Amino acid sequence: MNDTKTTASPRLDSKAPGGPIAERWDKHRFDLKLVAPANRRRFKVLVVGTGLAGASASASLAELGYDVTALCIHGSPRRAHSIAAQGGINAAKNYQNDGDSVYRLFYDTVKGGDFRARESNVHRLAQVSVNIIDQCVAQGVPFARDYGGMLDNRSFGGAQVSRTFYARGQTGQQLLLGAYSAMMRQVQAGRLRVMPERELLDVVKVDGIARGAMVRNLRTGELERFAADAVLLCTGGYGNVFYLSTNAKKSNVTASWRATKRGAFFANPCFTQIHPTCIPVSGDYQSKLTLMSESLRNDGRVWVPKAAGDKRPANQIPEDERDYYLERRYPSFGNLVPRDVASRAAKERCDAGFGVGPTGVAVYLDFLDAIARHGRATIEAKYGNLFQMYERITGDDPYTKPMRIYPAVHYTMGGLWVDYNLETTVPGLFALGEANFSDHGANRLGASALMQGLADGYFVIPYTIAGHLAGRSLQPVSTSHEAFDAAEADVRASVDRLMGIRGSRPADSFHRELGKVMWDQVGMSRTKAGLEDALVRIRGIREAFWGDLMIPGDARDLNMELETAGRVADFLEFAELFANDALTREESCGGHFREEHQTAEGEAKRDDENFCHASAWEYNGANKPFTEHREPLEFEYVHLTQRSYK
Amino acid sequence: MSANEHDETIDLTLKVWRQRSGGAPGQFETHEMKGVSVHSSFLEMMDVLNATLVRAGKEPVVFDHDCREGICGSCSMVINGQAHGAEPETATCQLHMRKFRSGETVFVEPWRADSFPVIRDLMVDRSAFDRVMSAGGYVSANTGSPPDANATPISREDSDQAMDAAACIGCGACVAACPNSSAMLFVGAKVSHLARLPQGQPERERRVVAMVQAMDSEGFGNCTNHYECSKACPKGIGVDVIAQLNRDYIKATVVRSN
Amino acid sequence: MFTWIGQFLSSSIGKKTTMALTGLLLVGFLIAHLAGNLLLYKDPEAFEAYARKLHDLGPFLYVLELGLLALFVGHIAFAVRTIVENRKARHSKYAVQADRGGKTLASATMPLTGTIVLLFLFWHLIDFRFDGGFKGLFADGASGAGAADVVWNTLGGTAHMAVYLLGIAALTLHLSHAIQSAFQTLGLRHPKWTPLIERGGVALAVLLGLGFASIPFAAAIR
Repeated sequence: MNDTKTTASPRLDSKAPGGPIAERWDKHRFDLKLVAPANRRRFKVLVVGTGLAGASASASLAELGYDVTALCIHGSPRRAHSIAAQGGINAAKNYQNDGDSVYRLFYDTVKGGDFRARESNVHRLAQVSVNIIDQCVAQGVPFARDYGGMLDNRSFGGAQVSRTFYARGQTGQQLLLGAYSAMMRQVQAGRLRVMPERELLDVVKVDGIARGAMVRNLRTGELERFAADAVLLCTGGYGNVFYLSTNAKKSNVTASWRATKRGAFFANPCFTQIHPTCIPVSGDYQSKLTLMSESLRNDGRVWVPKAAGDKRPANQIPEDERDYYLERRYPSFGNLVPRDVASRAAKERCDAGFGVGPTGVAVYLDFLDAIARHGRATIEAKYGNLFQMYERITGDDPYTKPMRIYPAVHYTMGGLWVDYNLETTVPGLFALGEANFSDHGANRLGASALMQGLADGYFVIPYTIAGHLAGRSLQPVSTSHEAFDAAEADVRASVDRLMGIRGSRPADSFHRELGKVMWDQVGMSRTKAGLEDALVRIRGIREAFWGDLMIPGDARDLNMELETAGRVADFLEFAELFANDALTREESCGGHFREEHQTAEGEAKRDDENFCHASAWEYNGANKPFTEHREPLEFEYVHLTQRSYK
Repeated sequence: MSANEHDETIDLTLKVWRQRSGGAPGQFETHEMKGVSVHSSFLEMMDVLNATLVRAGKEPVVFDHDCREGICGSCSMVINGQAHGAEPETATCQLHMRKFRSGETVFVEPWRADSFPVIRDLMVDRSAFDRVMSAGGYVSANTGSPPDANATPISREDSDQAMDAAACIGCGACVAACPNSSAMLFVGAKVSHLARLPQGQPERERRVVAMVQAMDSEGFGNCTNHYECSKACPKGIGVDVIAQLNRDYIKATVVRSN
Repeated sequence: MFTWIGQFLSSSIGKKTTMALTGLLLVGFLIAHLAGNLLLYKDPEAFEAYARKLHDLGPFLYVLELGLLALFVGHIAFAVRTIVENRKARHSKYAVQADRGGKTLASATMPLTGTIVLLFLFWHLIDFRFDGGFKGLFADGASGAGAADVVWNTLGGTAHMAVYLLGIAALTLHLSHAIQSAFQTLGLRHPKWTPLIERGGVALAVLLGLGFASIPFAAAIR
């Protein structure tokens, strides 16, 4: 037990069970109420989002017999952004006999998350990880195999065991298509309705319980009402608050933010993961960033010139004038240090003037040594498609000259606060996958995002939702309830307000501006002064937005500019909470680095005395400060230690 | 560093298809694009056009897009008569402007097939693919306690071949590029993916019959083996999946006793 | 009881399978036809004997002809259905269309070459089956020109030469796509065998074309 000065908020009951950690989930599952098979049909579940979490939840709940409706922002659930995950999915199978176990995965995840996750949740995640692989294989996910026909694994993101399952560089795609096909099977069986091209604009509550949603039909522009007995937000992360990120263009914070405004607390928004190996920005037209799989660091060596401002082409810089700074600073982990460490080191070098390429904001990831050692064929077999993708985007051939890479926002660990049942502070409103905050703490390990999304959807929510449905006596609610009238009026008013500005600038231009402020001042490393300045700037952009936004066309019609504007408006509000959270957390941990809190060697310095907690923020109304609620985090099993990758 | 490393730009004449809805007539709209960076992607060039249109109070060109890294399958433009443009194995979002010449006229059209009705401008409705998938593109394995993942060994070759077929991103370029608007490459890819794995065997025959039935009722054309589909596929899926589909379908309908 | 046949034949793959099977059988017929024709080059008597043998089949020849007719009708009927459906699958045409190397001249012109072959076939049947020279050749008491002479005499003119070369060229082009296409449609694709089938199909088409085309040429130079 750690000694913390954090006072627990009475509003945050984690419902995390006590007792021996390995037995907690089993005991909790037994204690949860059940819904009898014949009764399940009576319960309507509304799933918002159809990525890994939403697709797996929709399929599993429909299989159980619930009446499920899934809202999908795309034309088809198969296009959700989970599809873009490249590297793999962790599971504590110990197929490689290298000492892995549920406990070790639990331990690595808590430690990797820099001690800012809830132990009970993380252990459950590690426990069900093994079931996920079985389930996916049963669905026909073509994971890589060895010649004996057994599943292959690789070590990923610096893990010292090989526990990552993968399907070429398209693991997310294959897992999502597996979950999507399970959904389509339920659609055929008539137990699941998929509503494509729909975006949630408000959560509707009746008697304090989430009972449905107001939704925009993106094809027609009509507002639609969906009533339900439980609402599951599986709407992903908010990395696009930085405008440039590896997220897809439609990824947004709107569902989570509108839920926040209806009383769900938002936890740890400042915990953002920056991925170290992305293709650098090339110009101001840039609309997104492309990630190059982390596996590249297994063979690539990261370097910059030893002399600042050295503009010679890479192959003209002799070996002794190159600074392999990761190998220099972290001799034991070298190029395989965790993501946050690698990212900050790249920023540090570029800020100091050692960056390469036309913009000077990039470092080299060099495969020439690996090619000399293993031969081009071996490297091509391992990374062929990644190299091809790099060449397609940049026009450069990584076989003959080093790649240029730079960190980019990739994943957000923060999200809606949820208890052990994945329920937010609004009863009946659940958050799954990247949309919640629970399992990764302040930093996510590579190949753990897919694991968490599927764990929540396949193996957690099917149990915990019954606790809500059977435990609370829910009265039937129809879409003609006055709560829907009120919510519709609110949504209509905010849409009208956006349409009514009739200024001169497209929503995207404000978003880009916001992203720059976030990246420069609320990004990889943060300072008090920078954050305070960012807050002023964010408010400025917000004002400009509400004064000069231009949306052509009609609200009651397909209108992509209106869709974008709604999302940007939410990002502009959310960014402020994000910066405030970063300002309040006076420590460095995981993806959150405050320059004031670092060791003499420039490494992150955690403050377990004062900040060993999750900060959950409560909305108090427009233009009013949020209230911070703290959930103290107790570490009974993995003892608090400072991370070291020296 | 390559020759066009520094701020090279090109000028293009863009002929973009505009159409209010599936039923409405459409026409090309001409835009002179000046100073397009060769490092921007095709969609980023379209973003620039749209920003200009919005600033002028005009409705932007509607096109589908999301991940912009070639995997979600949303983007769908026929560029100068080729689905996703001329680059092999490249989706529109990964097509970069360095592949165009300054002064070129570029025609941009939507996927054209009756089974993919136009929603607006360059955006089409591909829900036919979802209906084909729901007819049988799955393994019936409820979430629960399936056997251990290593219980059934799968040879590396089988697994690789299944993955080759499973790489399909469902973009529909195969239909768009096919002179007959046939969906055989899409359906063949899913049927082959599951036919090449032991998990797919129990439902193999039901699946192929149901999916072909659904495909036919969606009004896709018949395959006449032009193989344009495979050439247009951003994932390079081969027409071997079509042969597999044919073989499995014939076997299931003509050879099997039930 | 037989609904499965109807279902199969109305499915897209069923239609194509039928076209592939009838097509391959017709190729078989063409090979036999050419083999018979090539007897012309051996000596007139051999060709005469071959013609007589066919004639002597009597009613059984009609059965064979009906079978052949059924193959043609089946092949054409399904082709027409396929073409009509394929047109309907895309009402709005591309303003610009550029192929990227899948489509070939042969694959793109299958309906056209098929139609030319059909028209040529009518002409050819009129030449030799209905009005033409073989009629009465084997009638009782007939004498004079032998079967070989009938061929040479019929094909002698420039008009015939042109029509036959056009028909045979269309047939060659048709087959150069059709043979490998039929294997693909029947699902007979194999990484080792398909390249052989593709090249072999084109070679067979060309050989058949050259073989058939040689006859009007031979007629002309006589």
